[in-house]
Amino acid sequence: MRFHWRLPQRGEGDAGTTRTEQYASVDVGVPDLEEQVAFAREAEACGIDSLLVDYSWIKPDSIVLSTALGLNTTSVKYIIAYRSGIMSPTAFVQQLNTLSTLIGGRLSVNVVAGYSPEEQRRYGDFLSHDERYARTEEFLAVCNGLWSGGEVDFAGRHYRVEKGALRTPFLAPDRSAPELYVAGNSAQARALAMAQGTCWMMMAEAPEKIRTNAAEVLAAGKTVGARMGIIVRNTRADAMDAAHAMVAEAEANRVTERSFVQKSDAVCLNRTFEEAENEWLAPHLWTGAVRAFGSTAIALVGSPEDIADGLLSFRQAGVTQFILSGWPKLETMRAFARDVLPIVRERETAACASF
Amino acid sequence: MPPLRFHWSLSSAGDKLRRSRARTVLSAVPNLDELTRFCEHAEACGFESLLTAFSFARPDPLTLAAALGMRTKHIKFMVAVRSGLHAPPLFVQQVNTVAAMTNGRICINVVGGHTPDEQKYYGDFLSHDERYARTDEFLTICRGLWRQEHPVTFEGTYYRVEESRINVPFVAPDRSAPEIFLGGNSEQAEALAIAHADCLWRMPEPVEQVAAAAARIRAHGKEVGLLTSIIARPTRAEALQAAHNLVAEVGVEARETHHRIEQRMDSVAFRKMYTEANASEWPAPYLWTGAVPYFGAPSIAIVGSVDEVAEALLAYKSVGVSQFLFLGWPDLEEMTIFSEQVLPRVRALEAEPVLQGDVA
Repeated sequence: MRFHWRLPQRGEGDAGTTRTEQYASVDVGVPDLEEQVAFAREAEACGIDSLLVDYSWIKPDSIVLSTALGLNTTSVKYIIAYRSGIMSPTAFVQQLNTLSTLIGGRLSVNVVAGYSPEEQRRYGDFLSHDERYARTEEFLAVCNGLWSGGEVDFAGRHYRVEKGALRTPFLAPDRSAPELYVAGNSAQARALAMAQGTCWMMMAEAPEKIRTNAAEVLAAGKTVGARMGIIVRNTRADAMDAAHAMVAEAEANRVTERSFVQKSDAVCLNRTFEEAENEWLAPHLWTGAVRAFGSTAIALVGSPEDIADGLLSFRQAGVTQFILSGWPKLETMRAFARDVLPIVRERETAACASF
Repeated sequence: MPPLRFHWSLSSAGDKLRRSRARTVLSAVPNLDELTRFCEHAEACGFESLLTAFSFARPDPLTLAAALGMRTKHIKFMVAVRSGLHAPPLFVQQVNTVAAMTNGRICINVVGGHTPDEQKYYGDFLSHDERYARTDEFLTICRGLWRQEHPVTFEGTYYRVEESRINVPFVAPDRSAPEIFLGGNSEQAEALAIAHADCLWRMPEPVEQVAAAAARIRAHGKEVGLLTSIIARPTRAEALQAAHNLVAEVGVEARETHHRIEQRMDSVAFRKMYTEANASEWPAPYLWTGAVPYFGAPSIAIVGSVDEVAEALLAYKSVGVSQFLFLGWPDLEEMTIFSEQVLPRVRALEAEPVLQGDVA
């Protein structure tokens, strides 16, 4: 099992951050290199595989920010979130390849199709949800063509490239192309991950609901990942108290979050929001914070044992990669490394031995 | 006029003869430590910024500038950009993010692209003139975002954005938007620079021929700069020897390579330079085209003794040229000569009370 963590952005604070707070903060747009480098180094010390660097109009550019972080760290990788439709695929590959040569190949890509039509139009993108997936498929086909090293000729509906070639290769110790996470819970996202990606990265749902879809992705030779939060304390009771306290403080944000989701055409955001009708989707998988903090706040809550149980139940459903976040941010990552990870590794080993 | 401003190109750093070779055989893996030393040398030599060029045969200039910006303290990076590759709001977001991390040490050099074949690698199938029209729209949106005229709504032939905003501000000690340079000798380039840029880069012609264009651009409150190579030595004889050695070193193969490159170009500035290089090796006593057939158009060079070069720069200044972007071979040495010998002479001449007027 591979564990990644979401990089906090400036101005978010250490507790959970609501969308209202993020959007109200001008600071969110300016990277806080000192803090973010410190977090990235802490992630290295915690044995975190990669850090997810968000993409949004309110945030610093994720490629540029990853460049700065990559130069100031030595082992952690960066999962760079990006969208199709805002850059020529050739130029995109050129930027990523350049970055790979500068930081020892420590980057992968999290391709998102975009979730807010309003935000897409800000960038000049007027396509519908399904058209965006069709375009993303073409985008990744060109990118994969360039990464496989030959000249790329491609004539699609959204992109056309003739004899495309670059002289800067993707350089990494073990790969000639970055890992491609395709994010989204829709059938289109899953199909795209199987066609062009290396991992289908979904917003956490009940493991039982994931199993069938995951099996299909695994059969295609790809991996499955899930994104979720973690609220871990020494005891389950303490963790629940912390979870409830977090939500109580953000009560006022429920209205804003609802209106944001209503304007979004992303399946993962809408589905998670709907499913938050039920507070518990599975033992330890709590939706109580989703209506206030958004879909990424779907969280495993409990003691270290509980969290490990929760993660392993995903493992049994076929999920092997996790992008986690937690509240408080830094302390949860430390607690995960110190208290949860050893239990997970021990049980993983035991599970392997039992085969 | 304020003191002349000087910039250098990073584009041949670490490979003196790079420009003499076919693009398809070049490696484009940057050596960060070596490039950092180059940047530090340029800082020590007093240059204001370093150009990171754009080509399919090079690392991405913006990513490279971000990395080098993290490794340096003072020097700025002039990042080349072609329209048609990024959504304008995304480009602004990237530039602003670099600015936020480097204390505003980024400016941009807008280029139209010079070779249709290469444009197609990036999915760009427009003609020379259409590319300029698109660049006009690109810069209109970018500048709207930089002026924080939020939100920006624009509907053109090539771009359409609705209620566009970027939350990352351009942060610099002295500016709220990056300085915009724009390269080209065509009429379209001139019009575009007047509309959107702070400074137009032209390839050098003899002083008297630059004067008219410079006057037109300065009348609109914009600056004119020259993109040129430089070969300065203590004596004229030494400078000529250095120039001839350079051509001898790369030989006839480079000439054939560049002939092929030239055939595929639609850049007015570059094509004109090849034509002129064939017509005359010395368009003026200080201006040598002898390397153009071997190293390409930007290798037209101001050549001469330290004093001659300084005087030529002042002659350009007298007709309105206010900035220079240099290339040199080998560039570290040429940079040092410029800094230690030419620059003090230029500053001394600038300090002398002279009659403003047509020196040439």
